[in-house]
Amino acid sequence: MNLQQAVQPKLSANGFGRRRGEREVGTRLENKSQSGKSNPSRSTNTVAGIGAMTGGKAGGYGSPSRDRVIYVTTRLIGHQVEVQVKDGSIYSGIFHATNTTEKDFGIILKMARLTKDCSVRGQKATAEFVSKAPSKTFIIPGKELVQVVAKGVSVTRDELSHEVQHEKQPELMLDSSISQSRYVEMERELEPWVPGEDDPRFPELDNIFDDRWNRGWDQFETNETLFGVKSTFDEEIYTTKLERGPNMDELEKKALRIAREIEGEETRDLHLAEERGISLHEDFDIDEETRYSSVYRGKGVDDSEYEEHEDMLLDSCNMETFGGSDSATKSSIGKSNDGARTSSGSSSKDQAHSSQSNTGLDVCRFGSHDHAKQLASELPFKSLPASDGESRVHENRVSEHGDNNNAKELEEKKMLGEDAQLSKPEDSRPSLIKKKDGSDIGGLSPDATSYAASSGVLSKGHEKMSFPGEHSDSIVSGKLHGEPQSLNPRGQPGSSASSSSDCAGSALALSGPGLSPSSSVGSISSEKSKEFKLNPNAKSFVPSQPPVRPHSPASDGSFYFPPNVPVPHMSGMPLGIGPSYPGHQPVIYPQLAPMQSPPYFHANGPQYGPQMLVGHPRQQQVLYMPSYQPEMPYKGRDF
Amino acid sequence: MAMDGSANPEDFVVGCVLSIKTTLGDEFEGQVITFDRFSNILVLQEGSKQGPRRNIRLLKANYIKEWSLLGQAEDPLDIKKCYLDLNSLQAREDSAIRQAEAEAERIGVGVTSEAQNIFDALSKTLPVRWDKTVIVVMNEVRVSSPYLPESVSGGTPAANDRVKKVLELERKRLQSRGPGQ
Repeated sequence: MNLQQAVQPKLSANGFGRRRGEREVGTRLENKSQSGKSNPSRSTNTVAGIGAMTGGKAGGYGSPSRDRVIYVTTRLIGHQVEVQVKDGSIYSGIFHATNTTEKDFGIILKMARLTKDCSVRGQKATAEFVSKAPSKTFIIPGKELVQVVAKGVSVTRDELSHEVQHEKQPELMLDSSISQSRYVEMERELEPWVPGEDDPRFPELDNIFDDRWNRGWDQFETNETLFGVKSTFDEEIYTTKLERGPNMDELEKKALRIAREIEGEETRDLHLAEERGISLHEDFDIDEETRYSSVYRGKGVDDSEYEEHEDMLLDSCNMETFGGSDSATKSSIGKSNDGARTSSGSSSKDQAHSSQSNTGLDVCRFGSHDHAKQLASELPFKSLPASDGESRVHENRVSEHGDNNNAKELEEKKMLGEDAQLSKPEDSRPSLIKKKDGSDIGGLSPDATSYAASSGVLSKGHEKMSFPGEHSDSIVSGKLHGEPQSLNPRGQPGSSASSSSDCAGSALALSGPGLSPSSSVGSISSEKSKEFKLNPNAKSFVPSQPPVRPHSPASDGSFYFPPNVPVPHMSGMPLGIGPSYPGHQPVIYPQLAPMQSPPYFHANGPQYGPQMLVGHPRQQQVLYMPSYQPEMPYKGRDF
Repeated sequence: MAMDGSANPEDFVVGCVLSIKTTLGDEFEGQVITFDRFSNILVLQEGSKQGPRRNIRLLKANYIKEWSLLGQAEDPLDIKKCYLDLNSLQAREDSAIRQAEAEAERIGVGVTSEAQNIFDALSKTLPVRWDKTVIVVMNEVRVSSPYLPESVSGGTPAANDRVKKVLELERKRLQSRGPGQ
């Protein structure tokens, strides 16, 4: 039988012959099948050979049982097996071949290790166990063999295909294993790499491309030479076609000029400034986060407000331009302001508006209305340019700088004031604003006006509100109008003094956000000071809010303006406003139940004592948006 | 029924399920695939699951201490499905050997377990191999017993330093993980 012959090679007991033997077996089988490798045929042969299985008495080698043994052991080739020998020790290794004679059945393993040593010697030397190197080839004679155990063997064709699928993941051929292993097909002679002359010594990542411009090597050319690959790159597909012609020079010069102009433009945007090498706000330690990553939140307005704010600004600008005193529109704007910030209350609102446009209420000058007016006018102007390119936000930021808090607050306040609803404390502002008659500064006025009307009185109380402290008194003094002047542009906290007097009423939020930089109006000085005077509502806010990083202009997010708008908001007052400005609430919104006492009052200023508030409730009426309340005057940034 | 000496070939009918106890103390059950009386090898298939893989045991029948017949089932080996692909088998063997070699390189012969631990730790980030009891890193830096930073020698200064550093770190880590590691 075929198998008989096949069996023979296995007879040689020496290890070296094993593999060959196996191969021969294979070969013979294959030959028998008359096709190079027709496994099926082979199996057919095998099948034939096996014939009668049970009881297999067909004779030594030809017995079907023997065939089966051969089949199974052949299937084991390459498989990890454990072989137990007579003394009980177990060797683990890769099954390589059987080492059989007629009567004996031995095994040959590759890379065998002793995994269980039951020999006498082994019992003692357990420590040595791990450190034994595996034997490349390990022959176990039949006499020693007790059993061979293999797990997970695929025996039939189906199983094999299964195995093939599961196991045939491409084996990771490590370089070292290729070059060092003896078992890899050697297609060519392998030589270790030595650095050539051209190769840079100690190539470091840093300097590897140092000469890139003078490399004198054209990749496209090389590619073409070596591989005949033609480059089809056409620059014009990706960029504007350059008209090269007689006018090239001129055009080029012109372009350069324009470029220079643009690059040299003054900018207030931090990023642009940095690119152009202009350093803004050097003295402020704007940290990295603010500089490069935080989201600009427009003087404390939360993002949702942003648009509104913008609108507001625009409106303010418009107002300025067209003198729209009625700021009906403003109210809308006001809304966006998150009035709260308009610390200065109504007047400030206007200011705020303008300031807003200016980025930041810096300009708010809360001072007197007049002042406000001035400011307003200034503001608008300021804002105009400011708003030009940069978002208001930036402006805010900028302005904030010096006085950021103030400014912001002012703005906010202003905004608040603007919110038509300045109902409350802001009311005073509105009234103030109103009074200002005219000082529609930036749109604030309109609101103010509206409110002012309503609250004539408000101003008093409100005024206090807006600014923490200082103005409170003055504000109360009803400066609604009269004093507007006194309201110094609160914008800067510093100026509170002046403003307090009258502006209190006007609550020009001006004092609020100390729009410092921009407010050219005198208040600049006050910018830095954080007290706001005017804003009765302004509470010096101690950052209860999520901390705005002290210097991030952007982070004035803390300032966020509670969405003022719509009166309806009232109930929601504390919405968004960070720390709800409870203080004012009671006063302001009739609806607001919580009467929070001045916890929010800024430490700085008394802002206005509860007594001030008293007046308000009545006047409330307008709703100053609850949001206004929070007016976050300052989010605690006391500069 | 217990049989001593070599079992009667007729007893081991293909397909029957047996319970066997060996003279060395192993006990198991399995289904007979074949029994070759000439070599006295009993080939069993263990495990009841008829999955793609089987556990195969080849036992020299003379080591059977006692056995009993549990039942009779049909032939576990379906002749028609038998298949041998020598090439793939060979490839499998080669791959297994390569793998085993790679693993073997990792184990030092005659080295303490501490040394082996250090070796294993170094091998996580550096190409290492054993040369007797010396750890060879990147084929140029040698770390000999007692595997301290001072025992690092050879290689370029940069490589040497790097190995020293890694060694220190790994030692610290091993220490912190617990003495006796």
